[in-house]
Amino acid sequence: MDPSGINNFEEQWRKALSEASETPPKSIWENIEARLDENSEKGAVLPLWWQSKKLWLAAASVAALLVVGAGFWFSDSSKNGQNRIEVAGKAAQSPATEKTNMPEAGHAAAQENTEAVASNAPDNIESTDSKSVKENNQTLASATTPRRNVENSSGRSSASRVNSQNSIGAAGKSDIASVENSVLERNQDFAQSNNLASTSISSNEIQNDILAKTESSEKAIAVDMLATPAYNELDIHVQKRYVFFKPDAIAKEDIKPKKHTEYWAGIGLMPASFNPDVQLKNAPQDFSYQALSRTKAVTASSEAGISYALQTHGGVRISKHWSVELGLSYLQGNSSYEGGGYLINSKSQSTNVLENALADASKGSSYSGGTDKFNNGALYVDITNKVANNYQYLQMPVQAGFTLNPDKKLSYSLLGGMMANFFLSNQIEAASGDIITTRASDEIYRSMNWAATTGLRFNYRLSSRWKANLTGSYQKAISSGFRSNQTLDAHPYLYGVAWGVRYSF
Amino acid sequence: MTFNEQELVKGCKQRNRIAQKQLYDVFGGKLFAICLRYTKNRADAEDVLQDAFIKIYENIDSYRGDSPLEYWLRSVVVNTALNHLRQQKYVKELDDIDYHLNGIADREFTLANFQLQQLLELVRELPQGCQTIFNLYAIEGYQHNEIAQKLGISEGTSKSQYARARALLQLKLNKETRFDDGSVRNKQL
Repeated sequence: MDPSGINNFEEQWRKALSEASETPPKSIWENIEARLDENSEKGAVLPLWWQSKKLWLAAASVAALLVVGAGFWFSDSSKNGQNRIEVAGKAAQSPATEKTNMPEAGHAAAQENTEAVASNAPDNIESTDSKSVKENNQTLASATTPRRNVENSSGRSSASRVNSQNSIGAAGKSDIASVENSVLERNQDFAQSNNLASTSISSNEIQNDILAKTESSEKAIAVDMLATPAYNELDIHVQKRYVFFKPDAIAKEDIKPKKHTEYWAGIGLMPASFNPDVQLKNAPQDFSYQALSRTKAVTASSEAGISYALQTHGGVRISKHWSVELGLSYLQGNSSYEGGGYLINSKSQSTNVLENALADASKGSSYSGGTDKFNNGALYVDITNKVANNYQYLQMPVQAGFTLNPDKKLSYSLLGGMMANFFLSNQIEAASGDIITTRASDEIYRSMNWAATTGLRFNYRLSSRWKANLTGSYQKAISSGFRSNQTLDAHPYLYGVAWGVRYSF
Repeated sequence: MTFNEQELVKGCKQRNRIAQKQLYDVFGGKLFAICLRYTKNRADAEDVLQDAFIKIYENIDSYRGDSPLEYWLRSVVVNTALNHLRQQKYVKELDDIDYHLNGIADREFTLANFQLQQLLELVRELPQGCQTIFNLYAIEGYQHNEIAQKLGISEGTSKSQYARARALLQLKLNKETRFDDGSVRNKQL
């Protein structure tokens, strides 16, 4: 085996395919967005606390407290620092006074000095704060008026030394007039005139350094408490072959519970084949008088006609696969009734078996279908005639659906349920050629009868909200369509294919 | 396209829709090509891509930035594709066929003359098992033992399926090459 050859094969394929790119269709993002919306609407799988305004306000107030607290802490510690500077100054002073034996003069000069400063700029003493200390540390050259106070406190020792070596008059150097000079100049003077002075100043500087360090570390702590951890820039790794193997990644991703509530409304048109399945149990009274016609009359049958239903429905998805839907449809069921012949009397009035049966069924009512005109002398004409027999129903289906592939582009639903059919009207073609219309108020048909319904639906997702569907459906009445089933019986059934669209909310 | 990966991830972690869309815009094409490689038809590939992005957005918090973002995204897509195949029970049908790499010496082997679409089509024409294992081994770079573990098959099956995939591809390439430039290459098979 030639390993280089093998590598070459895979190398070529990898080169060709691993970086390949293909623009996905636009609808994909829409679907993803819809599913994201769905998930976020369901009250969040993850607690999105950072999107809560209240929590932000709380966090902001905590942050504000921290800032203020840190400020207090900071200024406290800087005051302490100042005290320490003074103590240090005094400590440095004592050996100097021992050397010179002129403590009083030193003190006097120093006091004079501080007093002079105090009288010149009384505000400055009070305004000695953390800032001045910090500035101290940063640069001596940028010394400002408040700094003088600090300098003065250290100046107590240096001034004493100046006094001790030169004379009290020399202290005039650092008197009211000299305060007006720049601190830097004075510092330099002190340094030149006395080494001790400079050491004491440098000791002060060390103090200041230490203070500044502790301050800055305190500041850093405060900042750490407030700021989010910073992102590190990732290195760009260039690898020829990267193995991403996470055996438990799939298992982890699968155990997310999801909620699936979704509402929709839809409309559709269903061309159908409707058969009322009208059965004559006994020949109608008029027919039964004609002995011969009896058998013929009851062997007739219904034939399905081209019908249609206008449907509206609304539904709710209650779990990943299950849904419940309700609807309201108008069904125009056309059919024909074949057979039975008809009767004709001496007055040339005629009746076919269906109208006669209906007239029978409507006994006692004001039904216009016919009266007892055919009791005697009527002639039975044995012609297989075919009469139109059309129904209008208002339908209310309640169905449960089980959907396969629910979130995919193409999904399938199995439907099953019950349907209430409210009778609106029936039209039959009379032997005379007229149309006899029977209404619910005629009390021949049941105003409502139940049907069982089942179906198979194909859903095709057009966009995140819209779906087109094609539903094959079968309905069969489980009770008779007639009030009295002595002579007539009807169990309408229907096969249809509905085309529709639906919109999800 | 210029983008800041960290910002993008941060935005996605905050469930920011603009960031999510940008992530999709930046990586959607490459990831869709992966989906196309693992599936048999475009509709399935679209389903896988959709599912994968939902997983990406929902699990973005588990991305810690310890590997480049693209590798993490690719691994989610590959896993989603495998899951999809598993649901369709393709993978279970894998048999240990007696195919071995029998020294295919293709020193001058090149795919430079082929269009991406052609190559994708060739891969998708492979039997499902071969297709999956070819993708995992040759393109993604998994080892046979890892593939075996991932798919719940034996290492031998993975190897033999891969050898079969390779042989089939070689055969198809030979045909296609003859067809395209009229020349007959040295047939090794």
